[in-house]
Amino acid sequence: MDTEIYTPLRLDEIDSALQRELKEKIDIDIETCLECGKCSGGCSNGHIFDYTPRKIVQLVKLGDEETLAGMDALWICLSCQLCLDRCPSGIDIPRILDYLREKAVTRGVKASRPDVHLFMELMLEEARDKGRVSEVPLMIRFKRKTGQYLKDAGLGFKMFLKGKLSPFPSRMQKPEGLKKLLSERKSEKKD
Amino acid sequence: MDDRVKKVLVIGGGPAGMEAALKIGQAGFRAVLVEREPDLGGTLRKLVSSFPRWENPADLVGVKVQMLEGNRNIERLTSTAVLTAERFERGFRVTLKHLNNGGSREIRADAVILATGFDLMDASVYGEYGYGIYPNVINSLEFEDRLRGWKEGAESIPKGIAFFKCVGSRDRSKGFPYCSKICCMYTAKQAGLVKDLFPGAKVYVFYMDYRAAGKGYEEFVRDVIEKKHVRYVRGRPAKVLPEKGRLLVRAEDTLMGIPVEVVVDTVVLASAVVPRADTRALAKMLGALTDEYGFIEPLPYTAVRSGERVFFAGGCGFACETQGALQQGAAAAAEVIAFFNKS
Amino acid sequence: MQVKRVVQPENKIPEVPQSVFLFRSCTGSLEYPGTENAVRETLRILGIEAVMDPDQTCCSGYLLTCSAHKPEVSLAVTARNLALVEQKNLDTYTFCNGCYGYLSELSHILLHNPAYLSMANDLVARWGYRYEGRTKIFHVQEMWYRLRERIAGKIVRPLKGLRVGVHYGCHYLAKQYGILDDGGYPTFHEELIELMGGTPVFYKERQLCCGYAVGRGFTHREEIVQPHLYKKFRSAREAGVELMTTVCPGCNVALDREQPNLNRRYGEDFRIAVIDLAQLIALAIGVLVQKLGFEANTMPLDDILKKIAPEKGS
Repeated sequence: MDTEIYTPLRLDEIDSALQRELKEKIDIDIETCLECGKCSGGCSNGHIFDYTPRKIVQLVKLGDEETLAGMDALWICLSCQLCLDRCPSGIDIPRILDYLREKAVTRGVKASRPDVHLFMELMLEEARDKGRVSEVPLMIRFKRKTGQYLKDAGLGFKMFLKGKLSPFPSRMQKPEGLKKLLSERKSEKKD
Repeated sequence: MDDRVKKVLVIGGGPAGMEAALKIGQAGFRAVLVEREPDLGGTLRKLVSSFPRWENPADLVGVKVQMLEGNRNIERLTSTAVLTAERFERGFRVTLKHLNNGGSREIRADAVILATGFDLMDASVYGEYGYGIYPNVINSLEFEDRLRGWKEGAESIPKGIAFFKCVGSRDRSKGFPYCSKICCMYTAKQAGLVKDLFPGAKVYVFYMDYRAAGKGYEEFVRDVIEKKHVRYVRGRPAKVLPEKGRLLVRAEDTLMGIPVEVVVDTVVLASAVVPRADTRALAKMLGALTDEYGFIEPLPYTAVRSGERVFFAGGCGFACETQGALQQGAAAAAEVIAFFNKS
Repeated sequence: MQVKRVVQPENKIPEVPQSVFLFRSCTGSLEYPGTENAVRETLRILGIEAVMDPDQTCCSGYLLTCSAHKPEVSLAVTARNLALVEQKNLDTYTFCNGCYGYLSELSHILLHNPAYLSMANDLVARWGYRYEGRTKIFHVQEMWYRLRERIAGKIVRPLKGLRVGVHYGCHYLAKQYGILDDGGYPTFHEELIELMGGTPVFYKERQLCCGYAVGRGFTHREEIVQPHLYKKFRSAREAGVELMTTVCPGCNVALDREQPNLNRRYGEDFRIAVIDLAQLIALAIGVLVQKLGFEANTMPLDDILKKIAPEKGS
């Protein structure tokens, strides 16, 4: 039964769990935010973010985990660190985004930009398997998974001719140790 | 040259008036300090705590009163008001009235310092806030009484309180266009005090800006926000509605651009600072300048002089904090002393 | 600065006129002819003649609320309508908040923009009209409040404590200046209800817009108007409102006609009758129930009539 009735957000009923989590787990106290907007003003991608850095911090204050998990900014942030550098309170917004991204992925929330998520996962897979991330194998994985075979093919060929792309990836000497480490971390994360 | 010791009438026994009278007495002139309440201290007597150091205002009043009592040049007349005043010879002739026994007395003064202080605007013009309609919508001075009650162990424990800043200030439509200067600071103080007394209470401050321009002021407000966890919400509230015996506040969180609501037990309005009702009449009698709002206006190129032999200090000139009132009181006294020394 | 927004009714209507021009409302006269009749009868009983003219047209507010066209397009219509009234040397009284709001606003634009005024007058001159700004615009709710003592003296059917929730509507109070009460917390309708022996109910969403928003009822009925009305009626029901009064036929349509749809959609049982304030006053001062056209109301008034006008059980 449709009981849709539009009411504004009730501030006294929001859950400050996320704010406390950030304080306890990654030692970031967003209460120190002065709401000045210097972060958003200088954000490299701020003009295409759906929520600018200042708004992202405000969303944490409002406890809106759902919006934060599904927002576009989570995946198109370049991690340029300009926001952190300029913040008068020193709030580490890139770190907050890392934390939120990890949380969203663990919860299985679909990324707003699936390609970005995929690229990050494939990079980790490369590292896990070979101990090193080489461009060509990574690109091959990516193109196989996304079917974008012809994209940048011309550029790739030119780079190969100039000796900038090697079809023979370098390998780590004893990749088993790294593999073990990464799989331990993976199972640890699942707990 | 007149050999009689010059005498100054100081109207108003708040921090500005007390300081002025004190400096005049200490400089060797005579001061008559007139205060309509039974005790000295003015608005300070109503306040619980102060910014930026959380000190007890009663201590300051006590110190000043002690110093005043110890100075034989100063006559303190409490429960006394000025009935009439007019220029007479090279000074003033003033009739004082005792408010309890109704007796009156005439004095001569060579100069007058107006220190009648401030009041808060009547917020009932804001029907949307329900002041005068809902019993738990009160102004900040009335809230000080509640704070005192809580400190002394009163009954009702609040679960939620909302403070509205800029009620009547910065309002060209129903209030006054000016900023009342002190509300951002005293609201932070009041909000912080509530959290100290009741850590479990949800305390909100609805603001447009917060103006903390003073020594230790910014740190004070940040402390209230970051350490005492008062939730500041940017957005001037639109409406207060009754909600099952409590009060519902509707505002916008302008930083996100979304409407928000909050349900609290008490709404405290930081109403605009206005001069006290009798200031305008007194100013007229004494020949002091006033502005369109009734605040005493200084003469050009002066700070505390408003007319021939008329000076002023403190809230009657414009909103100011305790420190400002003390400073202005001293400045007015200095002006008077300089004037006396010259003539 | 503190400008006087609220005027005393005695200042707005210093002398009670003997005749007024009653401005017909498109929605009012068509959807609720009982309202128009109630206004005429009430004015008559209070000693005022209501003059009407079939040549009058709609104030065009309906289209303006939809933002179907720019306000300038409605200027000639306004000039013509008001010129018609000026030919009779009367003041204009509307019984619809919409008409009141738009006539006031558009006449203000005309009288403060000479270019617009001459354009409008040039147009309507073809039919012999000329608008000069002599007629003043009022709403009958102002007359009810102005004559509240006269009304109180004529009550023959007291409301017996009937719980009435007032709906002021938006377009009268939105004018902000020169109105009879503070838009922040209006009470003058409630005063009238009390005078008539009813119990005014200050329900939480008393000042919420009716949501009619002419046009949205067509384009966004389910998405916007119904949830909006649901909020209003839930609050009214919680406070125990038995009857709602309006001073705008638009509001009346939204609040009255939509209730069955709300009941169906939300599985509710709202049964709050919605009538114009004039109909309630007319009922209280003894106008025949047949003349008040309650047949046009969607939500039935049987219970209320049984309580107040038992002689006409309906």
